[in-house]
Amino acid sequence: MLTKGKMIVAAASALMITSGVATAAELTIYNVASVSGAFANFGKQAEKGVKLAIEAKGKAAGMDLKMVTVDTESNAGKAARKVKAVIGKDDAKFFIGSTLSSTALAVGKEVNKAGGIYINGSGADEITGKQCNKSMFRWSAPTYGAVNASLTTVLDRNPNIKTVYTITPKYVFGEAMLENAKILLEKRGIKLVGNSYHSLKESEFSGYIGQAMAAKPDLLLLLNFGSLATNTIQQAVNFGLKDKMKILLVWSNGIDHLRTLGPKISEGIYFGSQYWHDEEAPANKEFVALSRKMFGETPNYPMAHYYQMTKLMLDAIDKVGTDPVKIRAHLEGLSYAGITGDEMIRAEDHQVEKYFYLLEGKAKADMNDDDDLAATLSKKKYFLPTSETGCVLG
Amino acid sequence: MSTSVPFRVHIAASVIIAAALPFLVPSTVLATEILIFGMAVIGCNLLLGYTGLLSFGQALFFGAGAYIASLTAIHWEIGLIPVLLLTILAGAILAAIVGYLAIRRQGIYFVMLTLAFGQLGYYIAFLAEEITGGEDGLLDVPRPPLELPLLPDMTFANDASFYGLTAVIFVLCFLMMQRLVDSPLGSVLKAIRQNEKRAEAIGYQVRLYKIAVFAFSGAITALAGGLYAMMLNFAPLSNIDIETSEQILFMAVLGGLGSLYGSVIGAGVFLVASDFFSELWPRWMLLLGLFLVVVMMFAPGGLWHGLVVGFERLRGRHKTSTEENDHG
Repeated sequence: MLTKGKMIVAAASALMITSGVATAAELTIYNVASVSGAFANFGKQAEKGVKLAIEAKGKAAGMDLKMVTVDTESNAGKAARKVKAVIGKDDAKFFIGSTLSSTALAVGKEVNKAGGIYINGSGADEITGKQCNKSMFRWSAPTYGAVNASLTTVLDRNPNIKTVYTITPKYVFGEAMLENAKILLEKRGIKLVGNSYHSLKESEFSGYIGQAMAAKPDLLLLLNFGSLATNTIQQAVNFGLKDKMKILLVWSNGIDHLRTLGPKISEGIYFGSQYWHDEEAPANKEFVALSRKMFGETPNYPMAHYYQMTKLMLDAIDKVGTDPVKIRAHLEGLSYAGITGDEMIRAEDHQVEKYFYLLEGKAKADMNDDDDLAATLSKKKYFLPTSETGCVLG
Repeated sequence: MSTSVPFRVHIAASVIIAAALPFLVPSTVLATEILIFGMAVIGCNLLLGYTGLLSFGQALFFGAGAYIASLTAIHWEIGLIPVLLLTILAGAILAAIVGYLAIRRQGIYFVMLTLAFGQLGYYIAFLAEEITGGEDGLLDVPRPPLELPLLPDMTFANDASFYGLTAVIFVLCFLMMQRLVDSPLGSVLKAIRQNEKRAEAIGYQVRLYKIAVFAFSGAITALAGGLYAMMLNFAPLSNIDIETSEQILFMAVLGGLGSLYGSVIGAGVFLVASDFFSELWPRWMLLLGLFLVVVMMFAPGGLWHGLVVGFERLRGRHKTSTEENDHG
C-alpha cells in the first residue's frame, strides 16, 4: 500500500518523466539500405556510415538524433512498401541512401509524394535526369561521370588501346554505363568489338569471359558492380585475361573490392571509385580518423557515402530546421567541404558535383600497409551540363 | 473450417479479418499487403492444398497480373473495374495455358515445368523493358477511380482508402473461393488430390478439372498482383521472380494447406515475421526457416490446423471436466 507521501513523490516523478519525454524532441533519419538479401554486406557498411555521422553530429537543431534502418531486402518492391509504411505511420520525412537504382527511383517517388527529402547515392542517370524530382538529391557521380573520369584516364595512359569488350548488367544502371562508354569510345575512335549482358542474379561469368577472349580486345571494360564485379574479375584472371589485355572496373566499391580480390589478383587492374580513403581533404581525414576510432577500420565506399549523405542532411537541418522546403532551398547550390574535397550541389538537378577516382591495384611488395592496396592515378569531375540531363524538378 | 460450417460464418469471419487487420499490424500498408498476399496464397492453396498440384510458377501469374493492371491503368483511362477484370481474365487465360501444358506430366516433371514457365516469364519481363520497364519495373502506376452508375467516382489516393478497396475485394474473393471449395467442384478437386486414378476411374475428366483449377488460381493470383502494383504505385520485376513463387508457397505451407483461413494466416504471419526478423538479423531468412521447422514439428498441418486442433483439445478437456463435475 502506498503512503500519501510516496504517492505524491510517484506522481511528481511520473509528471517529470512524462514532461521529459514530451520536451525531448528526437529527429529520425531513415536509412534505406539492403541489410539483408543479395547486397546485405553493402547495407551493413552503409549503416555504419549513418551511425558515424549521427555520432559525430550529436544533435541537430537541438534535437537528439536517431537512425531507423529501412531494410530493402535488396528488393525494390519491398523497399517501396516499407518506405510507404513509415511515411504513413510515422510521417517520416528524411531518407538517406539506396543500394540499387531501381530502388532509389521507387523510393524517390514515395518521398516526393510525402514532401520529404531523400539523398541517395545510386548510379542511374535518370535519378538526376528524366526521373528527377524536387525531393531527391544524389551524392555519387552518375554513370556519365564515372565512365568519363575513369575511362578517359585509362585511354590516355594506354594509347595502344584500340579495341574494347564490355560486360554489362542488364538493367538501367548497366545500360546507362554502356551508353556512356559507347559515346566516349566513338569520340576517341576506339572500336567496341563486343558486349555481353548478364542479369543481376548471375554468378557464373565464364561464358562471357570466353566471348571476351574470343573477341581479343585491348581493354576489358567491366560495367557491373559489387559481388558481380568481384566474380567477373576473379574468373577473368583465372582465364588469364590479365596478361592479354587491360581490365577496368568502372564502378568499384574501392577498398572492399581490392581487399576481396587481394593484391595477387588486383595488381595492375584499374578500378574506378567514388571514394578513396587516402584523399587528403580535411573532411576526409576527420572522417577516416572517426571511423578508425569508432569501428577500428578504414572506411570503404558504402560507409563513406552514407556518412557524407547523412552529414549533408544533418548539417542542413541544423542550419534551417526541419521544414523540408527550407532544407531543399538551403541545399540547392550549396558548396561545402566534403570527403572528396570541394563539393557542390547543383540547384537545377540536385546532383552533387564531386571527384571520381581512378585507382590501380598495387603489387603486395609495393604496399606500405594492409590498406595501401591501390595507387590513385587521377581524380576528376565529369558531369553532364544541366541543360542536357532532361531533369525538370517537379 | 469444414464444409459443415454455415456460409454466414465465413461471411462474418472474412469481414472480421478485413476489419480488424489494420489494428493488429503496425501499418495500413502492411495490412493491405497481407490481404493481397492472402489472395495470392489462396490461389496457391487451390492448386496445392485442394488438388495436390505443387506449382513453382505462381509468380508468373502474380507478376503478369501486376504488369497487365499497371499497363492498362497507365495507358488506358478505363476505370478500376475494367482494369481488374482484364487482369483477372489475363491471369486465368495464362494459367489455363500453363496448366494445359504442365499437367501433361506428373510428379517432379510437373513441378519442373511450372518452374520453367515461371523462369520463362521472368526473362521475358526482364528483356521486354520497353513494355515492362525491365529491372527498373514500371513506375508511376496509378490507382484508377471506381466508376459506378448513379454514384460519384471513388478515388483511392491515400493508403486507408486503398485498404478499404482491397478489403472489399478480399472479402468477395475469399467468399467466392470458399463457395468453390465447398461446391461439388471442390469435392472433385479433393478427390483428385487423394487419389487421381480413382477419380479418373469414377468418370471425372481429371485433366479438365486441373486446367479449371489452374485458371481459378491464375485469376485470383493475377488479381493480387494487380492490386499489389497499385498499392506500391510501382510494378517491380521481383513480382515475377522465382523468389515470389517461393514466398507464396512458404506462406501456404506455413498457414496450412487445404484451408483458406490458413492462407490468410500464412500470409500475415510470414509478412509480419519477415519485417520483425529482418530488423533483428541480416540473415533473417534463416530465422524464418527455423520458425517453419518448429511449426512443421508441432503443427504439421500448418498454423491454422494447429489452432483448430488446439481449440478442439481445449474444448474436449473442458467438456470432460464439465461432465466430471456433472457426475461428481
